[in-house]
Amino acid sequence: MIRVQNLVKEFPKKDGSKFYAVNDASFTANDGEIVCLLGVNGAGKTTTMRVLSTVFQPSSGTAEIQGWDIITHPHKVRENLGFLSGDTGLYNRLRVHEFIRYFGRLYSISDSEITRRMDEMAELLDMKDFMDKKIEFLSTGMKQKVSIVRSIIHDPPVMIFDEPTSGLDILTARNIVAFIRSCKERGKCVLFSTHIMREAERLADRVVMIHKGRILADGSLEALRETTGQTDLDDIFIHYVNQSDLETEVQAHEF
Amino acid sequence: MNSKKVMIVYRKELMEVLRDKRTLFTTLLLPVILYPLLIVGFNAIMARQTGVLEQKRASVAVQDSVMNAASMAIIENLAEIENYTILPAAGNAQALYENRDIQAIVSISDSLTAGGLTAYHIYIQYDTANEQSRTVYSKLKEQLAESEKALMQEQLQLRGVPTDVMNILDVRQIDTASSQRKMGMILGMFLPYIMIIMLLTGASVVAADLVAGEKERKTLETLLVSGIGRLEIVIGKYLTIITLAMLNLVVNLFSISFSMRYMLSQAGMDMSGASLPLNSILILLAAMLPLATLFAAILLSLSTFSRNMKEARTYEQPLMMVSMIMAMISFLPAIEMSNLMALIPVINIALLFKAVMIEEYQVSHLLITIGSTLILDVFAIWATIKLFKTESILFRSDDDSGSIKAIKKNKASFFNPYNGIVYFSIALLLLYYLGSYWQGQDLWRGLLNTQIFIIALPALLLLRILKLNSRDVLRLKPPKLLPVVLVPFMAVPAAILVATLAQLINAIYPFPEQYLENLTKLFKMDIPLWQSFMIIAVAPGVCEELLFRGMFPRFFEKYGMKVNIVVTALLFAAFHLDPFRFVPVFLLGLLLGYQTLRSGSIYLSMLSHTINNGLALFITAFAGERWIKIFISRDDMLQYWLALPALMIFIIALWMFHKVTGEQTCAE
Repeated sequence: MIRVQNLVKEFPKKDGSKFYAVNDASFTANDGEIVCLLGVNGAGKTTTMRVLSTVFQPSSGTAEIQGWDIITHPHKVRENLGFLSGDTGLYNRLRVHEFIRYFGRLYSISDSEITRRMDEMAELLDMKDFMDKKIEFLSTGMKQKVSIVRSIIHDPPVMIFDEPTSGLDILTARNIVAFIRSCKERGKCVLFSTHIMREAERLADRVVMIHKGRILADGSLEALRETTGQTDLDDIFIHYVNQSDLETEVQAHEF
Repeated sequence: MNSKKVMIVYRKELMEVLRDKRTLFTTLLLPVILYPLLIVGFNAIMARQTGVLEQKRASVAVQDSVMNAASMAIIENLAEIENYTILPAAGNAQALYENRDIQAIVSISDSLTAGGLTAYHIYIQYDTANEQSRTVYSKLKEQLAESEKALMQEQLQLRGVPTDVMNILDVRQIDTASSQRKMGMILGMFLPYIMIIMLLTGASVVAADLVAGEKERKTLETLLVSGIGRLEIVIGKYLTIITLAMLNLVVNLFSISFSMRYMLSQAGMDMSGASLPLNSILILLAAMLPLATLFAAILLSLSTFSRNMKEARTYEQPLMMVSMIMAMISFLPAIEMSNLMALIPVINIALLFKAVMIEEYQVSHLLITIGSTLILDVFAIWATIKLFKTESILFRSDDDSGSIKAIKKNKASFFNPYNGIVYFSIALLLLYYLGSYWQGQDLWRGLLNTQIFIIALPALLLLRILKLNSRDVLRLKPPKLLPVVLVPFMAVPAAILVATLAQLINAIYPFPEQYLENLTKLFKMDIPLWQSFMIIAVAPGVCEELLFRGMFPRFFEKYGMKVNIVVTALLFAAFHLDPFRFVPVFLLGLLLGYQTLRSGSIYLSMLSHTINNGLALFITAFAGERWIKIFISRDDMLQYWLALPALMIFIIALWMFHKVTGEQTCAE
């Protein structure tokens, strides 16, 4: 599970002041649950996820992944975490099996175990035909499948997806959505971020709304509908943004 | 550190790099093809061309003003040169020569010596800038030497002296250099240069790709969230760069030495048994390895700092330029390896390389070279790891603070380190081209113009354009009385200490005569003393301070006071374009920077600077007086004992200054 407590991530600005990308954020995501981090571009979704995956250090507050603190046990956090984003790049000069094996070895998994898992995933995702190909010759859909295998080669209990479908065509995006659902079925804790309301509606058990680094709302769709009296997620989102006196900001966006 | 994971990264990076055709081509294939092609091919073409020149027909006009048997014999002898036509010089000989129809004009005249002998004077008119004309000249000379010998023999016989008197002095050379050393001498000249550049090229081909390339291809984040620490990633990548650099080096070394050997043997030098012995190769590789690691660390940090490959390649250029210039030291005559030289990176390798090639190296130099490079290397790799762990660097976003738009919006954003370096570079270029031109025209007017129009005025104008308050920006604030009183007690001893240091440097590594003469010229301008004082002391005191203690510290403010003082002092020293005074000027810059930034008033460093320069002028002006002799030794040097009281007064004054300025800084 993921537990985020009063997380703050600030960046220094040129004029000496600070920019709060994440401001006092707290939320949790449980095993077997899909939680959606919903917000407009620049709301702080990616920064939150980068802090959770130990790429960034938090300015204050902390978070736990499977009970491991991100500051004190970053290595354990990474072992328990699978991370995938829509624009993840791959090493083009490696062959598919070499690429997956490389990351498996970095997680200290034995070669025989890597082979076993790789075969299993290749069967499942229909990848057998291109396991020996160099990545540079793969299609976008094939590359996305390679990324998926890479992110779960160490069988992590927690999965983080940062805008997983952004920039993907409809067929490739469907693969990802199916994969996220399968993670939940296998009892994994899933946190994914998006700015697309429909995606959140279709996938999420619970929605955490983030705006200008602050958490505006946290609850299941039903609960949010009940609280706001709105049925559409777009309207629910705008309701919360208005509530935090940020109406003018929202009009500038395409929602 | 988990060495197993380092090796996983290393093996993967190496595999990826070696699969890149571009890298393979530049690292392995190019050296193998290039040198034989360049050296052997070039040599073959040159030999052929020289042959062509030798065989080429030539016409020579001869003007014989003597017309006796001897002169006729000389001309006949000249006519024996193969493919040469000897023509009697007609009136149009000069026109034909200028038209290149004839390649030389020989004039023969005679005179009587004091002993009553007829001596023949032969003038050969030819064109040294023309290759054929030069060949003609050497052939004519060769042939004339024969004539000379014949004439002498004839004269000796006439006098009844045996002709073997001509062999009375027999000069022969005995060359003790082994063919090994002969090759070493030639290779030692340019091989270090090529090797250092190749090492850097080999390293830079991969370095940009390894971090900046990962950023560009968006694979870095994937790697960072995987089961490996950042230290392991850095070391793995670092080892990859070193391997490629060394691989490139080894391939180059072999390719070049084989090609050179072939060329030298073609050139007629006996190369039997000459090859690079294994121990020389091992020593060279042992010395080049630390340099490879240093380059790898520097390149890796540049790559880490860069947002993309293109940016990384741009940042590599200055490193390449500086290394090229430093490596060129092997071309210079009379610079030999010493313990001091062994401390300077790149230069030490170049000189050591040269020494190893002629088998005259010392183990101590090898050890100092390796040791000092390793120390720098440890620092560089530490900095890289630190950079790699700094998220603002690793995920550097587009910085538009330097754009005109951003400056218009927030004027203070003009003052960032990037703009500081750009401003400094422009000022330096102006100084180099315009300033030196002005000073060449008229020394004192040129100096004054430089101070005003290159150093001070542009800074003031810029602040005006940006509509910034120059009083605030340049710290033009009246100082308190006590710090002002303390400044002379710091400035005078500091000037003495710095001058003593310069003398010490001069004693260890003497400045060139020409340089000292130019410096003296500066202090002995043909103008009244007060005018010299204004130009040498007051003008720099005001103008240089406005720029170096007023303007420049604002560019580097974000690094904190200490770094700011060091950076501006470095720029100050570099701006003097004088490698011999770099260290003294840098130290002076530290003091001046400290005085301004600590007190918040630029007037203090202006005063200090004026006193410093004024003192030098003062000593030169009154050097002849009896009372000053106490402080000056016979060879116009400051007495070394002066350093001791100077140091004591300086420390006390500095301590007091620090005390009395502390509160003000806090208040700011």
